[in-house]
Amino acid sequence: MTTVPVVSSSITIPSIHYLAILPVIILLGASVVLVFATALVRTKVTQFVASSVTVAASVAVLVVTYFQWRCLDSSGPSTTIAHAIVLDGFSVVATGVVAVSLLMATLVAHDWALRERIVGAEYQILALAASAGAVLMTQANDLVVIFLGLEILSLGLYVLVAFDRHRHTSAEAALKYFLLGGFASAIFIYGAALVYGATGSTNLSTMSYFLASNVLTHPGLLYAGFALLIVGFSFKIAAVPFHLWSPDVYEGAPTPVTGFMASIVKVGAFAAFVRVLISALGTQIDTWRPILWVLVVLTTVVGASVALLQRNAKRMLAYSSINHAGFILLGIWAGTTRGVASTLFYIVTYAPTVVATFAVVTLVGGLGDENHSIGGYRGLARRQPWLGASMCVLLLSQLGAPLTSGFYAKYSVLASTIDVGGSPLALIALLSAAIAACFYLRWSSALYSDEPVEATRIVVPLSTGIVIGVGVAMTLVFGIWPGPLVTLCQHATLLFTP
Amino acid sequence: MIATSYAVPSIIVFVGAAIIIIVGALGVITFKNPVHCALSLIMTLFGVAIAFIAQQADFLAAVQIIVYAGAIVVLFLFVIMFLGVDRTDHVHVEPLVAQRPLAALGVVITLGGLVALMAQSHWVTGVMSASTDGKPLESGTANVHQLGTSVFTTYLFAFEATAALLVIAVVGAVLLARRERTLQADEVEV
Amino acid sequence: MAHVSTLIVILPLLGYLLVLINGSRLTERQIGYVATGVVGLSFVASVVTFVLLLHRHSRQVTVHLFNWIDVGTLHVPAALLIDPLSITMCLFVTGISALIHLYSIGYMHGEKDYKKFFLYLNLFVFSMLTLVLANNLVLTFVGWEGVGVCSYWLVSYYFDRDSASSAGKKAFIYNRVGDVGLLLAMFLLFSRTGTLTYVGVFARAGSLSPTVATLVVLALLLAATGKSAQIPLFNWLPDAMEGPTPVSALIHAATMVTAGVYLLVRMSPVLAISSSGRLTIAIIGGVTAFVAATIATSQKDIKKVLAFSTVSQIGYMVLAVGVGAYAAAIFLMVSHAFFKALLFLGSGSVIHALNGEQDLRKMGALQRFLPLTFPTFLIGWLTISGVPPFAGFWSKGDVLTNVFEHNKILWVLGVVTAILTAYYMSRLFVLTFRGTERFREVTHGHDPHESPWVMTLPLVVLAVLSVLGGLLDLPWIHHDSLAGFLSSTFGYVAPLHAQSTLSQYGLAAVDVAAALIGLAAAISIWRSRTEDERLTPAFLEHVWYWDDFYDATIGRPLEELAVFSDVVVEDEVIDGGVMGLAVGISRSAESVRKIQSGFVRHYALAMMLGTAVLVVFLVARVS
Repeated sequence: MTTVPVVSSSITIPSIHYLAILPVIILLGASVVLVFATALVRTKVTQFVASSVTVAASVAVLVVTYFQWRCLDSSGPSTTIAHAIVLDGFSVVATGVVAVSLLMATLVAHDWALRERIVGAEYQILALAASAGAVLMTQANDLVVIFLGLEILSLGLYVLVAFDRHRHTSAEAALKYFLLGGFASAIFIYGAALVYGATGSTNLSTMSYFLASNVLTHPGLLYAGFALLIVGFSFKIAAVPFHLWSPDVYEGAPTPVTGFMASIVKVGAFAAFVRVLISALGTQIDTWRPILWVLVVLTTVVGASVALLQRNAKRMLAYSSINHAGFILLGIWAGTTRGVASTLFYIVTYAPTVVATFAVVTLVGGLGDENHSIGGYRGLARRQPWLGASMCVLLLSQLGAPLTSGFYAKYSVLASTIDVGGSPLALIALLSAAIAACFYLRWSSALYSDEPVEATRIVVPLSTGIVIGVGVAMTLVFGIWPGPLVTLCQHATLLFTP
Repeated sequence: MIATSYAVPSIIVFVGAAIIIIVGALGVITFKNPVHCALSLIMTLFGVAIAFIAQQADFLAAVQIIVYAGAIVVLFLFVIMFLGVDRTDHVHVEPLVAQRPLAALGVVITLGGLVALMAQSHWVTGVMSASTDGKPLESGTANVHQLGTSVFTTYLFAFEATAALLVIAVVGAVLLARRERTLQADEVEV
Repeated sequence: MAHVSTLIVILPLLGYLLVLINGSRLTERQIGYVATGVVGLSFVASVVTFVLLLHRHSRQVTVHLFNWIDVGTLHVPAALLIDPLSITMCLFVTGISALIHLYSIGYMHGEKDYKKFFLYLNLFVFSMLTLVLANNLVLTFVGWEGVGVCSYWLVSYYFDRDSASSAGKKAFIYNRVGDVGLLLAMFLLFSRTGTLTYVGVFARAGSLSPTVATLVVLALLLAATGKSAQIPLFNWLPDAMEGPTPVSALIHAATMVTAGVYLLVRMSPVLAISSSGRLTIAIIGGVTAFVAATIATSQKDIKKVLAFSTVSQIGYMVLAVGVGAYAAAIFLMVSHAFFKALLFLGSGSVIHALNGEQDLRKMGALQRFLPLTFPTFLIGWLTISGVPPFAGFWSKGDVLTNVFEHNKILWVLGVVTAILTAYYMSRLFVLTFRGTERFREVTHGHDPHESPWVMTLPLVVLAVLSVLGGLLDLPWIHHDSLAGFLSSTFGYVAPLHAQSTLSQYGLAAVDVAAALIGLAAAISIWRSRTEDERLTPAFLEHVWYWDDFYDATIGRPLEELAVFSDVVVEDEVIDGGVMGLAVGISRSAESVRKIQSGFVRHYALAMMLGTAVLVVFLVARVS
């Protein structure tokens, strides 16, 4: 008989700061509640109930972020649960953006589901779960948690993309997204393993501490690791050449889902990207900067120029969002506190704009979600001035026209780039914006075209109308009066900013 | 260098396990018959289990065999049986001429590069792992104990998040499978 | 106090929004009363703020609303500066605007775009108050532009008339030229002092070198000539008479055109540094006053006469600023607001009575038919002519006394202008109200009718103000009146040599004599005739051929340049270049798009190759 070794120490469960993980709990909780309701209640859960639960959850998250911010004000940023989760300004603001995106996207999807006669709470269940994943990514301080957040976010979206039962492109897009997403996830996790090998930890703070206190004479392993991490993130944010899935998926997915994806994936992936590169690998900036330089150039230029050739609204917006990803990367490239703040500002302003844009696209798409040629927008503003003008404002904001939030967003990332001597890069990005201006302007002028087009009047349902209104209002208010938001983003610094 | 931290017999075991893993993985992607693919997957998983044992992670090796090689692949096989074995997908048209050579080139360069990078660097983990405070992993029950400890301390949150991930995966799979089929008229014609 | 002063600005905006949103549900009359009401309340808020300010020890209060722009070292708050100068401006801007709003309810009755008119009017008042109350140049600039664009909309209110729409454009373009001046001044000041708030700029004004200060002053002067219609940018104002008469009264007499003078007075601490800059200002003012007065003697349109008279009066104000008599400038501005609004509204009443006729030759003998308009207009006439004891006498006298101290030549010019002023106003008065009836043709034989009470009430109020306005700042109580109240806001002012009472009486006597000469000459000449080629030479009637001069020297060459740019530069160079570039981008994008084949394996291949390149880069970096 062998003796069972005596357990030498009892396990001490790490302390848990519940306020920090409350947003994730709320979102997942709401999702699970809806799952149970679907399974247990005999009658089908109506869209109204499902959407109400989702809206309530996102509002609750917003309220929680307010208390988190107050907590930050009083006791400063902190980590919790064995340093796996961060509560800092950056995570709080990014969480708030996820909540706002979820809220707006749910309202749009609600009307869309009614229009397409979709029953059941499936959409809301998955949207809630995906948002929980995005929130996890914004808060994660551990590569494992980032990966899990990424997977939760992606799994939810894979199914959401396949949601449209009437169009085979929807299922096809989901399959493409799933396969390539799996590929990217594998690369990411391999990268995480290599970084673990090089630093001895998956925890970002520990990693940062290790790299700050040790000089790596042979950093090859670390480089290999973060190269693969960058590939994984680049896939998620659709940076060229890891972007090819995005136009197909944007086009194939139901339009409200596209809007939702475009906003929360960007928020989650960029937040985690910033944390990994700046917090954990800030000391390696000289190595990852050239990589990002090339990524920015390719992403901005390819995104803008290929968009010129698109005739489909959703594909064009996909390339436009690629172009935006390049701009957001600029802030990370700068690697300074200001750069991080400008990245955050860009995300905060871009998310509502893009959700509202896709809300208009959803409406124009009409029953069956198929009418997405740019030609469908001809004269929209003549027929329906409010809707057309809203779309025009949203497009101009993406173009970066003054008096819209997009202008200050672009300005601030470019300024932070130039601050650290990136004038050539800023110039290239700016040129891409000039190219992008062509198709935004072509689209906006189509809105005001005089040609008589046979078109039925688009009914704007209440909640979608609210979303568009709110999106336009945010675009204009933050455009004319960016001060408070800029201040907020400047205060929302990372916990371990160099 | 990698080799310095291992004794000669461990290298032999490692190389053997690695060959099993790689051959299995290649099999998964090259066999045309899905059943063969699933069986190759078992081979890979088995190789991984050997690698675990070589690292004295007995418990993980057991889990690997029982859960993955046992339960999961059997599930795969069930699904394949349901869908029909004879369904194979052929790549009829290949518009990009250099697709395969290019892919091979990409893989070779990437892997070669990664190996080159790894070959000349310091490993912080391994036997002297940071997660066990520098103590070598023990074999036997203590191994399980250490695993349990880190799951409930260092990786507590990740562990919980995994639960969420699995829930979502299940829900997503159910939703995809359960979708009402609206194109029934189409099928009647066939 | 902060809340009340914020209300001054917010109320007109609120009115604008109310009418904008509810416009379709409100009746014409309700729109008018809402719009008038908010401006009236704004006036009340100004009065309350004024009273509160009087009881404060420190008469400079900054009301911080929010941080507007925070970029690098540029911090621009949206904040209000409440001090004697700004509150004085607020009082008369809101007061007179309220009266003119009330008047417009009657005057604009039945117009097609009634709602639009009041929308613009409220927005205009909001802009003007922003301009006046802003605590920094950037916010002032916002108001400045807002005023400009509202005036464009209002001047081209009858946009289906060619003359109205081109007058609107003319006003806008002249204003834009002036705006460049304000921008330049802002750039210069920011680069030298690092701030754009008034308080900050004044605190560091001492560090400006005289050259920079002169440049700033000249840039400000350019801005002022645009907005306040001074030489060389003065001739948009007469054309702007194409707008409805209340607009002429509000914008082109009482408020907007005073913005330039206000800006110069506001920046007086900077003006104090540059004596050559001040001299330039004085000369521009004096010459404008004279030139405009000569032109006014020969105009046939009742509103054109008043328009040139406005240019001339503002010339006086600029002249006063130039000699450092800021208080006198503001005094004249306030009293001018009273009597010029009165005259414009009076002329509006006349035009209203004559079914829109504006030609002096078709008026005459209206005294009998307009029992309220006639006496009030009479008061306006005597006031502007400088007859004691009306407000004009005191305020113009104040200016001329100061000018006499500093520059005798300009003083002579001022006195001659005073004679001309009395002359052309008397001509206007006589041709309108006296003489023979010449209007039967336009009224189709009917008797002209007096206007409704909403139009005459403002006339009466303004007439009373014109009579009593002099009390604001009588020469022997300078320190306890307007001048004393304002003095804390001005930069250094060279003290007047203690003038003997005798010389003061002497100067006053000269003023009175000038007024009487003008009156007598005009009455004796124009009592018996309506037209005289010799007395209204074409040179004067055509504004010294000023427009033709601009047309020949600036307009034509620019047009030729534009044609050249259009045909050669635009079509061939730019269009060719851009199209070439666009084709180039499209071609290369086309090849990139080919990768977008729809096959997952191609996408994966691209990712793989991307990763490969990245790894190769890192290998190269390590070794």
